[in-house]
Amino acid sequence: MSLPSRMPLEPAWLEKLTQAKALKKWPLAKLITLFESQLPDNACVREAIHHYIAQHPQSFSKEATIIGFTGTPGAGKSSLIAELCRTILQKSKTATIAVLAIDPSSQVSGGSILGDRTRMHYGKKETRLYFRSQASNLELGGVTEATFQACRLLRHLFDFIIIETVGIGQNEIDIQFMTDHTFLVMQPLAGDQIQFMKCGIMEIPDSFIVNKCDEEKLARSSYHMLRSSLKQARLVELHAEDDYRQSAKDQIFLTSAVKNRGIETLCDHILQLPSKTHWHKTEDFYLQKSIQKRFGEFGLSLISDNPDKELLSSITLSYEEKERKVLQLIQSHIK
Amino acid sequence: MSDKKPHIIYDQEGQAGKDRPWIFRTYAGHTNVRASNELYRSNLAKGQTGLSIAFDLATQCGYSSDEDIARPEIGKVGVPINTLDDFAILFDEMAMDEINTSMTINGTSMWLLSLYIALAQERGIELAKLQGTTQNDLIKEFLARGTYVFPPDQSIKLIVDMYEYCLNNIPKWNPSNVCSYHLQEAGATPVQELAYSLVTAITVLDAIKERNCFNEEEFERCVGRVSFFVNAGMRFIEEMCKMRAFTELWDEICQERYAVKNPKFRRFRYGVQVNSLGLTEEQPENNAWRILIEALGVTLSRNARCRALQLPAWNEALSLPRPWDQQWSLRLQQILAYETDLLEYPDLFDGSPVVQSKVDDLKAQAKEEIQKILDAGGGVEAIKTGYMKSQLVISQAERMAKINTGEQVVVGKNRWAEGIASPLLSAADGGVFKVDPESAADTLNALHETKAKRDEAKAQACLKQLKDDAEAGKNLMEASIACAHARVSTGEWAATLREVFGEYRPPTGVEGQTLSLENDKLQTVRAKVKQFMEQYGHRPRIVVGKPGLDGHSNGAEMISVAARHAGFDVIYFGIRLSAVDIVQSAIEEDVDVIGISLLSGSHNEIIDQLMAELDKEGARDAIPVILGGIIPQSDIPNLEQKGIQRVFTPKDYDLMDIMNTIMDLILNAKKTAA
Repeated sequence: MSLPSRMPLEPAWLEKLTQAKALKKWPLAKLITLFESQLPDNACVREAIHHYIAQHPQSFSKEATIIGFTGTPGAGKSSLIAELCRTILQKSKTATIAVLAIDPSSQVSGGSILGDRTRMHYGKKETRLYFRSQASNLELGGVTEATFQACRLLRHLFDFIIIETVGIGQNEIDIQFMTDHTFLVMQPLAGDQIQFMKCGIMEIPDSFIVNKCDEEKLARSSYHMLRSSLKQARLVELHAEDDYRQSAKDQIFLTSAVKNRGIETLCDHILQLPSKTHWHKTEDFYLQKSIQKRFGEFGLSLISDNPDKELLSSITLSYEEKERKVLQLIQSHIK
Repeated sequence: MSDKKPHIIYDQEGQAGKDRPWIFRTYAGHTNVRASNELYRSNLAKGQTGLSIAFDLATQCGYSSDEDIARPEIGKVGVPINTLDDFAILFDEMAMDEINTSMTINGTSMWLLSLYIALAQERGIELAKLQGTTQNDLIKEFLARGTYVFPPDQSIKLIVDMYEYCLNNIPKWNPSNVCSYHLQEAGATPVQELAYSLVTAITVLDAIKERNCFNEEEFERCVGRVSFFVNAGMRFIEEMCKMRAFTELWDEICQERYAVKNPKFRRFRYGVQVNSLGLTEEQPENNAWRILIEALGVTLSRNARCRALQLPAWNEALSLPRPWDQQWSLRLQQILAYETDLLEYPDLFDGSPVVQSKVDDLKAQAKEEIQKILDAGGGVEAIKTGYMKSQLVISQAERMAKINTGEQVVVGKNRWAEGIASPLLSAADGGVFKVDPESAADTLNALHETKAKRDEAKAQACLKQLKDDAEAGKNLMEASIACAHARVSTGEWAATLREVFGEYRPPTGVEGQTLSLENDKLQTVRAKVKQFMEQYGHRPRIVVGKPGLDGHSNGAEMISVAARHAGFDVIYFGIRLSAVDIVQSAIEEDVDVIGISLLSGSHNEIIDQLMAELDKEGARDAIPVILGGIIPQSDIPNLEQKGIQRVFTPKDYDLMDIMNTIMDLILNAKKTAA
């Protein structure tokens, strides 16, 4: 199949991409802005960048492990992620991390206050760590289109991508389609467990973190409470003895960012996680989501009824090419 | 007996008389210990009756003057103190057993008290004779003032250590001063002031009770040592009622919660600094009247009269005050106390149904709020969750919105803004105070000399003991006093405890805040934001932060809330940042503008650092920088030359005007870049 003609990658963007690969922060940040951009022109540049990356696999050999942290506001996600990054960078002398921290946008003005950076108060000029705040742009689902787009680039540049979601409990479902591993961060004994049972979010995470376990007693009782909830719901297979010291075996981590407790164990767990092998499925999910957002169920049904079944499952077409094809399809029906 | 007249004050013997005046203080200190010592002695000679020591930000935050983060701040907002040798000069030729010394010190108050005690010991002065106050209210530091050092639980532990030590060693010392002052400066309503400061007092007393270090008699005396530091604003009748409400509520809390039997120990003892928030940069001479009116609020009612009063200077919205400005404020107090008949009467408002009803109203609302916080786990918990902080940010935003719309009249600012220029500003110094940048050298030399002369092994042994005691959870007063004698420095003391206790960043309170502001200006700004988005594909992004050690975050918070209201994505980075932090965040976040706020007078030094760092990253001309805060007009041309695009001062109070200017700057910068 002949591919539609692409724009060549402009030298200025190529230079930024080359610098970003060496983790130069400013060019990297400019690229992220490009990937977040809503302008059609910028989508063309994105496509050119992807084409370039695809053609130079030896230069872009990284494939980041993408890790999601979800959970209610106040569970201490930001502080925990800050501690975790510090520990990962200490333990591994080569690991590189990109953090995407999402905060909610205002329903009224569309603007936002992104405050997660206040927690990342170390590593000032740490070259192996890149931190970017993102606004939720009023999207439900907790992970925005912008986050997805940023990940498309970052996964080729870093070893780990850590995504901190908005944290509005009921709408955190989408993150699982982007990540290799999702953690649900909870406060000890906050009754969260029961709430999560009800809303179905307990089915999302791969692991559980009970954060703010500043005291031994708190850690112990939180562990038992969560474990019995999980057992009752039969959501996970429980391996360990009923012993809070071995909670990691059951994918339960008891942490305290303040007391630096349990962070090492969590860090070891993360360092051995494999990276995603089916990224194109992620792209398909977000493409469908984007179509649904713009054209509703009508758009989605056109895709699923489309005789060209290859369209979404194709691994040779780029995201932008698929998007163009789907849009053509929809346009033809709208006429 | 029966011929006693209700308008006359009678003493216990039935003799008619008049009250003694409150203590006159001036919040002072600058440059270095020698200059500050001269200032104190001349203030005392002018009739000031108590000392109120202002420390520089490095001392307040636990850094020695020779540390990088301290250098731009040396001697700016107060006196720098590094070792006991500095303290000896600061109190040179002053009788420590006679003066009443109030120290505005919080995160490092145990250290400064230890230095004071060590100096008294070296001079052979009996500790029981020392009188004064260490401010030492960390809850309000987390909420409003920002010079905390350690996390909330450890901060409370240090406060309790000091109460435990002081009660029997320096019984006339107030180990802490519960502050509502800074809450009002941060926007608190009278009810919030009442509630949050009383919650603070309850938090401290509960912690003391929990330690169980006092018997019943001692605990009563300990309750009696809790004093307050209050604010008084322009609504002076309500402020007077607030003071009466404070007095009654405190009495009730002492009886009901702590079963204090002796009425003497239930008395609400308080000092005041009147409001600076309402002082204007426009027509600054008007502030003289404002200060007078604010002083009336805390002196008119005898039953709720302050114990000590310090007044700001008329030009505080312009810069740090000069000695003459402070003298003018001191004279106001003297005129009020000695020329008027104010001190001759019993309480003027007892029996007034209007006043009593207002007081009851304030009390009822405050009680409700206090109960709400206690039910949610108490003062420390309300810091950790950010509840109190977010309530203050809301109040401040509402206050600003009212001034913006003209609903709250501020003469010379949003009404009758036209006027004849003030001749007070035409003096050779421009009517503002400046610290001689060369003077820091004296402080650094003295520190260097002390460190060279001291017995190093002994200093290290004392620090080791401090660390061991901290790890063992012991009372740290004795170890700190030993450190003071051994010529340990402020930075060394704080660093040792930081190692054990860690550091803390409280919630900022700005997330999720909105402004209830709808007007044409807002629509203009939003239209520009829309235009920007259509052209560049993203919302305008601004990073807002405070470089340096100054923790007054209200301005930065208000700008953040306003920018979000206008439709910006705001990266709020908080306080105590280095130039490197801010530049890194600007670059990683690819912002369209950098907004920084500075009130400590260190703007010239810090802007140099910031611009150099931007230069290093090749971003100097690419990202516009705006600056807000207390910046003397005479400094602005120089700052603009350094590359600051625009300086906003308290005169720029209309938030949407500010946003409009920022939007124009961004659009312009983008156009130039393209």
